[in-house]
Amino acid sequence: MKVTIKNWTGVATWRWVANDDNCGICRMPFDSCCPDCKLPGDDCPLVWGACSHCFHIHCIVKWLHSQPQQQCPMCRQDWKFNNK
Amino acid sequence: MSNKSSELKLYWNKINYAFPILNDTIFSDCTGTEYDEVQQIITGMGIQVKVRDLILIHIEKYLRQHVAPSFWSKFIKVDEEVKGFQLFKSAVNDLYESVSNFSEMLRRLSILNTSCCDNRPIFGEKDVILGFKQLIRATLLSQLPLDYHVIINHFYKMSFNVFDNEYESSDMSEDVMCSGCWNEYSDCNCAYIVKVFHDTNRKLMDLQLLERLTGQVLTNFIQMRIESHIQKLCDGTFDVSHIGFLENWLETTVMSWLTRIYCAGSSKPPPDDKNTQNAIMQFKKKLSYYLYYSYTKLRIEQLFNIIIEYPDSQPAVDDIKLCLDKTDLRSTLCKRLQSALETRLLHPGVNTTDILTAYVSTIRALRHLDSSGVILETVTKPVRSYLRNREDTVRSVVSSLTEEGAGSELAEELAKFAAEVDGENDKDDIWDEWNPDPVDADPKVNSNDRRANDIISMLVNVYGSKELFVNEYRTLLADRLLAHNVINTEKEIRYLELLKLKFGESQLHFCEVMLKDISDSKRINALIQQDKMFEIASKNFTSNAMILSAQFWPPFKDENLELPEEIKQHFEAYTKSYEALKGNRTLSWKPHLGYVSIKIEIGSKNLDLVVSPFNATLIMHFQNKPEWTLDELHQVMKVPVTVLRRKITYWQSMGLISEKCTDTYVLVDDSDANKSNVATNQVQEMICEDDETESVMASAHDQREGELQVFWSYIVGMLTNLDSLPLDRIHQMLKMFASQAPGTECSLQELRQFLDTKVRTHQLILQGGMYKLPKS
Amino acid sequence: MAQNINPHYASSSNPAKQNEDTIKLKDNHAVSKRLQKELMELMRCADKGISAFPECENLFKWIGTINGPQDTVYAGHKYKLSLEFPNSYPYAPPVVKFLTPCFHPNVDTCGLICLDILKDKWTALYDVRTVLLSIQSLLAEPNTQSPLNQQASYLWSNQPAYKKYLEEFYNKNKDS
Repeated sequence: MKVTIKNWTGVATWRWVANDDNCGICRMPFDSCCPDCKLPGDDCPLVWGACSHCFHIHCIVKWLHSQPQQQCPMCRQDWKFNNK
Repeated sequence: MSNKSSELKLYWNKINYAFPILNDTIFSDCTGTEYDEVQQIITGMGIQVKVRDLILIHIEKYLRQHVAPSFWSKFIKVDEEVKGFQLFKSAVNDLYESVSNFSEMLRRLSILNTSCCDNRPIFGEKDVILGFKQLIRATLLSQLPLDYHVIINHFYKMSFNVFDNEYESSDMSEDVMCSGCWNEYSDCNCAYIVKVFHDTNRKLMDLQLLERLTGQVLTNFIQMRIESHIQKLCDGTFDVSHIGFLENWLETTVMSWLTRIYCAGSSKPPPDDKNTQNAIMQFKKKLSYYLYYSYTKLRIEQLFNIIIEYPDSQPAVDDIKLCLDKTDLRSTLCKRLQSALETRLLHPGVNTTDILTAYVSTIRALRHLDSSGVILETVTKPVRSYLRNREDTVRSVVSSLTEEGAGSELAEELAKFAAEVDGENDKDDIWDEWNPDPVDADPKVNSNDRRANDIISMLVNVYGSKELFVNEYRTLLADRLLAHNVINTEKEIRYLELLKLKFGESQLHFCEVMLKDISDSKRINALIQQDKMFEIASKNFTSNAMILSAQFWPPFKDENLELPEEIKQHFEAYTKSYEALKGNRTLSWKPHLGYVSIKIEIGSKNLDLVVSPFNATLIMHFQNKPEWTLDELHQVMKVPVTVLRRKITYWQSMGLISEKCTDTYVLVDDSDANKSNVATNQVQEMICEDDETESVMASAHDQREGELQVFWSYIVGMLTNLDSLPLDRIHQMLKMFASQAPGTECSLQELRQFLDTKVRTHQLILQGGMYKLPKS
Repeated sequence: MAQNINPHYASSSNPAKQNEDTIKLKDNHAVSKRLQKELMELMRCADKGISAFPECENLFKWIGTINGPQDTVYAGHKYKLSLEFPNSYPYAPPVVKFLTPCFHPNVDTCGLICLDILKDKWTALYDVRTVLLSIQSLLAEPNTQSPLNQQASYLWSNQPAYKKYLEEFYNKNKDS
């Protein structure tokens, strides 16, 4: 007997490679979207700071806008976007 | 002295001559002049009263001993209608004749009575003739035999047949038999029957015996005829309205026949005879009520079938609607239909889909029958509670909502609803058509709710929760999207839009993401196939991936499956390409999900199959090594033995693998393949479908586990901070704040029971209608 | 979920304000969502000694309860607090006040609290739970450098006297 695979359709779930499950600001899972968005993933991406903490981009931007100093809400270091 | 006595004897003989009844006979040649003399003798002697009373006693005796027995002697139980017909005819004839024979004597008695001048009533009547008739009736009826109705029945039955035939079967004229009298046409007896019929009725009328003797028999007989007529007419056909026809039949056939009985053959009652007119009117009222009653009764018994055939059966429903106003059968209808639904629908032998179809038909038909919705509400209560307890109800509703083709009534309904959403403003215009609720309406229910609910809402309400319903839809959609049938994403999106109109945007947001995942996956697949790195890894076979946003899909059943090494490597390469494509993101594979298209060459046969990853993995192992024990398979596939044993049957049924001995399986090799019972020729033709049709999602029931525990933590939370709360406030708070926790839908009643158990176990205190936590 | 939208914003009919309101409404929705999550989390894993729940139908106003920390003068006491969340939550802190009168160096007679994380040290990562836990530890370790209640601050160094006064104060006021 010879078995030939013609096509294999697999199922996978995607997830962000981050050191936490939830966004600390909005408390939604990273793999979900921030409360202002409807679609996860490309439409509501994560960003990392130089301090290596990460958030939904919409959440951290909102936080930075609301503060006089541009600090990471987690560690209070100055916030710099890390394009890793 | 002797002179005197011989004179008296002469007188007595003369009296006897005029009134032969004194010697128990009737016939006499006494003429008018002769009687004048006798009358003078009687008056002369002043014995009018005595003679009269004596005569009356003798008449009574004669009637009792001769007339009545001979009349009743004909009323015997016979089977043949014709014989009964003849017997009744001759009984009436004989009676009439013997009564006529009294007439001369009665005339003389009248003269005698007048001369009595005492105004004493004769058997309750002033007039001798009337008194006599009264006496006859009394005497006859005092001897009424048990089975007197048998021949009367025969008599009227035969005559009715003739009449019924006159109106009904002009088209049957080619028959050899006359359907009126059942004789051959050449020998038709109808005319004779009609003649005898009229004659007999006239005589009975004359004797004032018609009503008393035949009334009950006639009523029974006509009722029977009405019933059998209805039965004949309405046997299993619901697409024609019968009520007009029946009313007409009652008027033209039954009533005209009755009129002829009462009016001695004339088709109209004499205009000045109020009594007869009244009698006929009364009879007609009684009979039309009976007609409506019997017809409605019959239709109620058929109502279940009528509902199943709705809307083709709408004429029948219209009839019932009309008749319910004329009869008092509303509650009977509810009871009978409810029990019909229970016996025919609500048991394990009926598919949920069939129950739903019937329920939808019931909603439609009963809406038409009773626009207030009260009957519907009452009757379908058990259906709803039964559906609530069936596990696959929501699934069936959802799948029929979103399926096209057969059984897609609900899908149509959904589309209709969507169309109606726009034109909803004209509700205020129907105020002038308002009607109060019927008396049997449940006052607790808002009558507008009862009237306005559309069918889909009614089905969704079976489960009491929109959320649960939407959840189930999500599970179903997930199954469908992951199945290996070609997905018509466009169609699914269209339905999703319709459902959004019905259930609201936010509820169905998850489903939107799921659909987007599928279309995104196609794009990502295309990009990854172009990746050079991946191309190297995938030269042996093509692959696709469905990449899901886990947060938005229903939870998957947890299943393990170790894929063959080459497949694993293939997916690792895919993951690498994905990671390169979408920075910072990676994939977790669900090895047991998906589908595999494989080709199996065995001997000279080729099999093209689409199978589950499990089955593909299994057969690949058998390719490398023809014999495996379950335990060995368990080692390489990491699948529990029980599951393996169950699932390996797929390949057994295909004839490719057989169980050599307990828990040891071997490949059925090509040389044996011809001998084994593989239906390879057929299998070759078709692309075999995998039998794993069960859902890969955890069911709503599994997800519901432990939901009350969630409640409890919320309740403790609110009572810790807000001290004490009444039941309805707790309920309200739970609805507001616990609604995002899974499946936290709970009725006030349920909550009360839940809290009561907590009070009993001293975890709560109930004080003056307020719940609070015990002091710690 | 529509029912969780602050009714104050949900029922606006002024067309001029419409646009502004829609923005607030959208923010509101996000805030509701976060507060719902916090509530669910709080209910799911209840800490000993702290608790909170929305006061009425309004998700933006909660009542919190703190048990006085063990092995301190506050042990055995129970304090109610009110938490009000601004529409900019969690980018701005909630307004937290003691409802049960609290004799403490950093709490004034109106129940106002002097706590850095409720002011300049606030970050969006804090939540109801961390706020209540911080206040609970503030009870045990007051900051006597910047007191709101001078008397309490002065008395703090003498723990037996402090405890005596506190017991009287608490028993007099706990049900008000």
